[in-house]
Amino acid sequence: MLTTEKLTKNFKTRNAVSDVSLSIPQGQMVGVIGRSGAGKSTLLRMVNRLAEPTGGSITFEGRDVTALRGRALLEWRATCAMVFQQFNLVGRLDVLTNVLTGRLYHHGFVASMLQLFTASERAFAIRALDRLGMAHTALQQADTLSGGQMQRVAIARALVQEPRILLADEPIASLDPLNAKVVMDALRTINREDGITVVCNLHTLDTARSYCDRIIGLKDGVLVFDGTPEMLTQEMAREIYGAEADDAFAEGLTSTSLGGVPAKQRLTERDLAKNAQLGLAAS
Amino acid sequence: MPNLELDKLLLSRGDDGRAIPGSIAYWYSDFWTYIQLIVETIFMALTATIIGAAAAFLLCFPAARNLAPNSVIFLLSRRFMEICRGVPEILYALVLVFAIGIGPLAGVVAIAIHTAGALGKLFAEVNENASLRPVEGIRGVGGNWFEEMRYGVPQVMPNFVSYTLLRFEINVRASSIVGFVGAGGIGTELNRVISLYSDDRVVAVLLLIVLTVTLIDLLSERLRTHFIGKEHFA
Amino acid sequence: MTAATLAGIGPDEIASVRRMHPQAFGSWRGKLVQWAVWVGVIGYVIGSLWYFDVWKFAYASDRVWRLIAAMFTWKDMETWRYADIYTGIAQTLAMAFLGTMLASLAALFIGFFAARNTMPFGPLRHLVRRMLDVLRGVDQLIWGLVFVRAVGLGPLAGVLAIFVSDTGTLSKLYSEAIENIDRKQVEGVRATGAGPIKVVRYGYLPQVLPVFISQSLYFFESSTRSATILGLVGAGGIGMIIIERFRANLFDQVAFVVLNVLVCIFVIDWLSRKIRERFIGETSH
Repeated sequence: MLTTEKLTKNFKTRNAVSDVSLSIPQGQMVGVIGRSGAGKSTLLRMVNRLAEPTGGSITFEGRDVTALRGRALLEWRATCAMVFQQFNLVGRLDVLTNVLTGRLYHHGFVASMLQLFTASERAFAIRALDRLGMAHTALQQADTLSGGQMQRVAIARALVQEPRILLADEPIASLDPLNAKVVMDALRTINREDGITVVCNLHTLDTARSYCDRIIGLKDGVLVFDGTPEMLTQEMAREIYGAEADDAFAEGLTSTSLGGVPAKQRLTERDLAKNAQLGLAAS
Repeated sequence: MPNLELDKLLLSRGDDGRAIPGSIAYWYSDFWTYIQLIVETIFMALTATIIGAAAAFLLCFPAARNLAPNSVIFLLSRRFMEICRGVPEILYALVLVFAIGIGPLAGVVAIAIHTAGALGKLFAEVNENASLRPVEGIRGVGGNWFEEMRYGVPQVMPNFVSYTLLRFEINVRASSIVGFVGAGGIGTELNRVISLYSDDRVVAVLLLIVLTVTLIDLLSERLRTHFIGKEHFA
Repeated sequence: MTAATLAGIGPDEIASVRRMHPQAFGSWRGKLVQWAVWVGVIGYVIGSLWYFDVWKFAYASDRVWRLIAAMFTWKDMETWRYADIYTGIAQTLAMAFLGTMLASLAALFIGFFAARNTMPFGPLRHLVRRMLDVLRGVDQLIWGLVFVRAVGLGPLAGVLAIFVSDTGTLSKLYSEAIENIDRKQVEGVRATGAGPIKVVRYGYLPQVLPVFISQSLYFFESSTRSATILGLVGAGGIGMIIIERFRANLFDQVAFVVLNVLVCIFVIDWLSRKIRERFIGETSH
């Protein structure tokens, strides 16, 4: 269970995120929506401490994440994987090595510097690439891939970290609709099959509706909506996006997807609790 | 200027086996010594460049504004590099000759120190222009600062190699001069023949130095274009 | 195949992956080459240092301490002959200034002969370029030695050395600046019916001038540094004072002189930057 308590991030001139309190059970797929600059990215980056909160706290399974330092902080980042909008892969290294960097936390200094990865780690990495259909590119240099392929490699990298949480910061914003679908399907599969909590920043409403069990809406850094996709009415959507009262606000305008997953396949809180009991969320 | 008497230039050795003053044979009577010194000069430059480049490589990460872990380390590394760079090699050589005696070691260390500063600055600038995204990617998976540098920054390697080769050229020049203050290489010979007022020999040595430097320049340029070309087609 | 944990990867799993993707486990040949290169380089460095008697450093410490101590304890300051020191510094600055100024003027002229657009006649251009390469290629210190032989010890040799070496470098820089100019401005002037000299004066010069001033100022600053070094080989200026006091083991005086020189260079650096900012700032409207 990931909780935030009154999480705040103040820059000198403005509040990026103000007093956001959430509780996310293990295994949920959450979509965060809002305008650009509404604080989605900042919120996510505070969870894995790439950005430092100025107020409030984050707890994961009872441990205070905001107070972590040194080695414990690195361990948290290994547990809480992140996928970026610009993929953030190392272009000059090959795909396999990029994926293997997901295991860096578990290595000692010398092993990391000399790029010594064990055979089982290599096999694990190939399997991860396989799940995303990218195993055939394992020895290619990463910057020769297309955007969609790079994002899938980035997800593979996140997978080999054996994370409990996966944060996706606008994972499909730089991708065309077909690749976007592939990536969102991959995230969803990982969420369902491995029981990993996925928190996604999305800027298209229909993607959020199609893939996520729960939607969080941010406006100017404040939490204005927290509920299931059904609860997200047109008025709520307009408010989150700040559309003027006269403007015809069609959700289709924010869409880039090719269709998603039907509503009946979404998980409710009850489903999640049941799954946790069945031990599907591996420890 | 030395006496360039064309008729005497091409005379071979005289009857008593000694070279006639004014001929090329006389100029280069110490030819074998010269060759040995030139070779020593080139090796001095090579060793100094390798050591200097290694030091620069270690320093360039803390000395890059966008990569340094904190501003104190950044400032310290930058200042250190500036000191290494600011003092000309020959001055370092002078001091080192005094400290550890005459010989090529003083030259090697002097050039290595200066190289560390000069290359370090260039490397740091390359780092500052590099994209930070891979570095952030590594930070996101839980890597520490060293791992961020090791995995996030290899993109800059071709530039580093190119600058290092360029530096090697310059260092060959420098190592041919440091001998003048006793720090080894062909410069020692230059000093000797100048103090002997032997104009012909001075010209001979100077010509040899110019020739060597030009050859190394050409070689290094070849290597650089080959390397950069290879990188671009990789 | 949803082996979601590393622990779940058993040896048969590894074997099957290895069969399908053999290169994923690293080719031993590639690793061997890598190791060989590293071993080679490190071996070379250690070998050459051994050849250069690296253990001399062990004996160095007391001499170095003496040197450092001497540099910081200043005694008998009245006997230091300050007049010589400051004349020397003035001489160095004059050398640098004169040498750079003459070199800039010569380079401006020669630059046009080395640029593709102002010297379309290939062979002459290449000849000029090769000659410039020679001027540049020979290290300034060597020119210093040559001129000391030719005209004797003293600042004249230094001025000539700076002149020759800077002409080479500045000519190349100017010719590149000339090649990079905007054709259209030149054409505009030519279209008014101006003759070639006027075209140069009004078409090329205004575009090249900022580079000209900027580079010359930069070179003046670096020439001050080189003028100091040239003095070490007898070509005049403060370098000669440094070396004579160094040889006389008067290290405190050496330290004092070097400090003064550093201050001078710093001031010139600052001045030159201010001038460049002012000038370049003005023209960039």
